[in-house]
Amino acid sequence: MPMKLKRSETDEQLKIERIMYARQYSLTLDKRRCVVCELCEIVCPREAIQVVKPAEGEETTSPRLEIDVELCQYCGICNAICPFGALELKIDGEKVVPVVKFESFPQLIREIEIDDEKCPVGCTVCVDACPLKLITVKVVDDEGREVEDAELYPDEERLRVTVELDKEYCPVCRVCEYKCPYDAIHTQKVIYGHIRVDTDLCPEGCRECVDACPIPEVLQLSEDGKVVVNDLFCVYCGACRVVCPVEGAISLERTVIRHTPVHSGAWNKALEKLTSTKDMTKELRSRAVIKVKESVERRLA
Amino acid sequence: MSEEEPRIGVFVCHCGLNIAGVIDVEEVTNYAKTLPNVVYAVHNRYTCSDPGQDEIRKGIKEYNLNRVVVAACSPRLHEPTFRRCVAEAGLNPYLFEMANIREFSSWCHPSTPEEATEKAKEIVRMAVAKARLLNPLKPLEVPVTQKALVLGGGIAGINAALDLAEMGFKVYLVEKKESIGGHMAQLDKTFPTLDCSICIEGPRMVDVARHPNVEIISYADLLSVEGYVGNFKVKVRKNPRYVIADNCTGCGECRDVCPIEFPNEWDMNMGVRRAIDIPFAQAVPLIYTINRDHCIECYKCVDACGARQAIDFSQEPEEIELEVGAIIVATGYDIYVPEEGNLYGYGRYSNVITGLEFERLILAAGPTGGHVVRASDGRRPRSVALIQCVGSRDVNKYEYCSGFCCMYTLKHAIQLKEHYGREVEVYVFYMDMRSNFKGYEEFYRRAREMGVTFIRGRVSRVIEDPKTKNLIVRVEDIALGEPIEVEVELVVLATAALPSKGSDEISRILNISRGADGFFMESHPKLKPIDTPVDGIFLAGACQGPKDIPYSVSQGCGAAARAATILSKKTWKIEPIVAVVDPSRCRNVKAKCGICAAKCPYGAIRAPQGQPAQVITAMCHGCGTCAAECPADAITQMHFTDAQIFAQIRAALQENPEDKILGFLCNWCSYAGADLAGTSRFEYPPTLRPIRVMCSGRVDRDFVLEAFRLGAGMVLVAACHLPYDCHYISGNWRMKERMEVLARMLTKLGLSPERFRVDYISAAEGVKFAELITEMTEKLKELGRERIMAENQKLKPVLDRMLSRKKRT
Ligand SMILES: Cc1cc2nc3c(=O)[nH]c(=O)nc-3n(C[C@H](O)[C@H](O)[C@H](O)COP(=O)(O)OP(=O)(O)OC[C@H]3O[C@@H](n4cnc5c(N)ncnc54)[C@H](O)[C@@H]3O)c2cc1C
Ligand code: SF4
Ligand code: SF4
Repeated sequence: MPMKLKRSETDEQLKIERIMYARQYSLTLDKRRCVVCELCEIVCPREAIQVVKPAEGEETTSPRLEIDVELCQYCGICNAICPFGALELKIDGEKVVPVVKFESFPQLIREIEIDDEKCPVGCTVCVDACPLKLITVKVVDDEGREVEDAELYPDEERLRVTVELDKEYCPVCRVCEYKCPYDAIHTQKVIYGHIRVDTDLCPEGCRECVDACPIPEVLQLSEDGKVVVNDLFCVYCGACRVVCPVEGAISLERTVIRHTPVHSGAWNKALEKLTSTKDMTKELRSRAVIKVKESVERRLA
Repeated sequence: MSEEEPRIGVFVCHCGLNIAGVIDVEEVTNYAKTLPNVVYAVHNRYTCSDPGQDEIRKGIKEYNLNRVVVAACSPRLHEPTFRRCVAEAGLNPYLFEMANIREFSSWCHPSTPEEATEKAKEIVRMAVAKARLLNPLKPLEVPVTQKALVLGGGIAGINAALDLAEMGFKVYLVEKKESIGGHMAQLDKTFPTLDCSICIEGPRMVDVARHPNVEIISYADLLSVEGYVGNFKVKVRKNPRYVIADNCTGCGECRDVCPIEFPNEWDMNMGVRRAIDIPFAQAVPLIYTINRDHCIECYKCVDACGARQAIDFSQEPEEIELEVGAIIVATGYDIYVPEEGNLYGYGRYSNVITGLEFERLILAAGPTGGHVVRASDGRRPRSVALIQCVGSRDVNKYEYCSGFCCMYTLKHAIQLKEHYGREVEVYVFYMDMRSNFKGYEEFYRRAREMGVTFIRGRVSRVIEDPKTKNLIVRVEDIALGEPIEVEVELVVLATAALPSKGSDEISRILNISRGADGFFMESHPKLKPIDTPVDGIFLAGACQGPKDIPYSVSQGCGAAARAATILSKKTWKIEPIVAVVDPSRCRNVKAKCGICAAKCPYGAIRAPQGQPAQVITAMCHGCGTCAAECPADAITQMHFTDAQIFAQIRAALQENPEDKILGFLCNWCSYAGADLAGTSRFEYPPTLRPIRVMCSGRVDRDFVLEAFRLGAGMVLVAACHLPYDCHYISGNWRMKERMEVLARMLTKLGLSPERFRVDYISAAEGVKFAELITEMTEKLKELGRERIMAENQKLKPVLDRMLSRKKRT
């Protein structure tokens, strides 16, 4: 059986596979979680991921991700960097991130502490606040059994609230923290930075960025139709910049990324690209492309 | 001596009945006696035998002969023999000429003995005509660089290198891949003794690497080769491993930290290796390589390597130049991988694999740890079909037999039985079982005794059961005479062996030719099985045709011995059939010409402004292209002079020219193809009168004009195939350009276009040659004498005028 490279796509996912006799790899993009930001595209060391803008005349106007079956090396860097946990790498059916396993790429640190002792029975503010619907709140009795209808429970004293959060998929926007009336949630952003929108450049009536932003309260339209930025909840993913039709209207800079410690060239390069300005990132990417091209040419010459 | 009146002796050979059975040798001999300057003619049974050669030597003494013509077989076979013979009698070896009346007459015209005899007489007449004009020549001597290049580090190349090194010669072993070892290093066990392949090859690999006379240059490509026997200049590019060979200790600590896996070619892409790795544990040289097509530049390896500092991401390809006296090509073969779903479901069904994949499966160090399991479910198959001749012996794919598949299929059958005994049913589907070497037939019997089922017949189809992923093999059982179906859980295809990738490139760089099957061609299938047509370049192993390990090893040793015949000498003699410029006729003195310099395929001519052109003799390969191109007839090719060839043309067309096809055949391809037509006894009409030139590039347009001036029915110029087969790089291209212009002109002058033909025939195309002459003869008949003679009459005055400037010689 010859080795096979496969690509398959449904409405929900895009999957690429490398199937060998004795080993099988897959990389799956969960399209429901993917917000089409630019992070994976930026960090992929082999330029295997690309944000594709829809061609003219295409039904949809939103961009999508494409993964190149031939370029992907199944290193898992995209899996490690995605703040929304939209990419998943499997080897022989098991979830692994080789670059993390071999410490050549860090993991993002999602610092989220929830003190559910403070939560009163009946409060679900955080559940409703979470834009990605990652929080579940349950009421349990002292034996840990879930209580469906707390109001009917005879002894309120014996009830407790548990809050669970799917950390893997959380970009740490901090909305829940701010909305929590009881100060029960404490978080630290994964990515820090600045974002500014130069509204003078915005075309009349455009709201692409507002629609693209995965966190509802970061970008809003004011009454006079201008975009207003609320830096507080921004996760600095860059989904807005992907859709913005005007070069330079959105300036986004990442200053700090919280991650587990590593000593790795791949991370240094990724960091350089992630934290530099857009132009600089382009420059760095094209330099890498030239390098690859050169080495291919050398081989073929 | 050339000033003396020629005294020619003609020796006609019976070649047992090979010639005398068809041709009246007595008549040929008597006819020879009537030819001008022939003072002696005899016939004998075997001219090449000792008594035959004695007779020549005696004849030279007794009759004071100063030219000898032997009418026998092809000069490609025995010219060197007879040259040596006349030299022993004190005659210059170049005062000898051969008339090929066997391959060109008795063997190809057995049913028309009279015409064959007539043709033989004319061939002798042509040879005598040339002999009268022969000049004595002195072989040229060139110094020999006593080093060798072995290209390809498979088992054949390794053995060739070791033998030469043991004889004391420095050897460069250039290998394309990261490690030497070739296919043998991929195999599990070897037939017929079933010893572990790497256990017997590994020590040889180490020996060759350790030998003080051997320098292994691995992960390298051959770029160019210039020069000639004894003096080759070779350019090689060492590809960057991004690991400094001298610093790498082979510890593998870098591999252990590398996060990237990619398909391992050595494992037939069934398993993986890391971005920094060696292809297999016993790799030689043991130097790690980073594959930059996969590396993500995390530099974890750099950390792991630490103080040894062996990793260097800035490495660049490096070009090196080697000087060697001889070259051995041992580039092996590749395996045919059926295109997706094209044959027996390979690529479409996951439980269909190739024989080489099977080797990796059953090998303990392989990707599955030596477990034969199915790709579809990881389960061990309880029944296996081994299908033979996949792609081989198939006129629609590869016509030839791949040699070793029968034996390795038997090996796989026995291995399956040895590993899994009664738990596995093994079926072999075969056409013919070829087990004809020492111990092989016994091996076959062993397989039968172990309970392997042999079914004779060509498999028509393999279909997958989509549920179980089992395979249904359909075959026409020859024994039963009806189609049967067998359901199995795994199918192994014994796919054809192909010329290794890049053989075309190598054949171009080295100027050696390939047969119709794409494998490199030996100089003579029987007597020079290891030599190539290029002096100083030899073949070893499967690159010359599929062969098993014992045969490849013997050929490797044979090639070493052949190379040593050159390397052991301080100087080497080269044939003096080179080009010479007559400075008094060269136009370049007065006007800017330099055509010869531009056309010489070897750049062997310099034509500085205002000076006559000069041939650098040691670089001249003797194709004669320049002699044909020179507009002032200032260049002569020794032994193939204008005068000599004109004499042959005239002798050939002395009688009934309009019934004849005058053919100019290049020595390496078309003459050899014609020889093959003879040796294969393909019969064709006796209309051809052949003139041998070294290269079709030598064929001057004046030769063709002269032929038509004399009334030839047809003229054929036959060459090696375009684009790369010419033994003189591009002589055939020059001929093509020249002849295309000429053909247009002749047509304009009223010549029927069919009467002038340029064709390309390889040394392997005996059939094509016979068919060509048959077809031309039919056309000749169709046109009819009348029409030809009428055309000739019209043409003659024009051609007379055109050729009047030629010295009448
Ligand atoms: C499935 C299978 C099983 C087999 N089992 C057996 C067996 O049991 N017993 C047996 O006797 N035979 C067996 N054979 C046959 C065996 O593989 C060959 O006889 C043997 O490998 C031939 O050796 P070689 O050196 O001529 O060629 P190869 O092994 O092909 O080596 C050629 C070498 O040249 C190198 N090379 C190629 N091109 C270039 C280039 N342009 N420049 C530099 N280097 C180059 C290659 O990388 C390679 O290292 C088997 C073959 C197959 C396919
Ligand atoms: S730099 Fe490349 S070769 Fe080295 S460890 Fe990282 S991926 Fe592997
Ligand atoms: S063209 Fe041929 S014969 Fe003439 S100099 Fe070059 S190699 Fe020699």
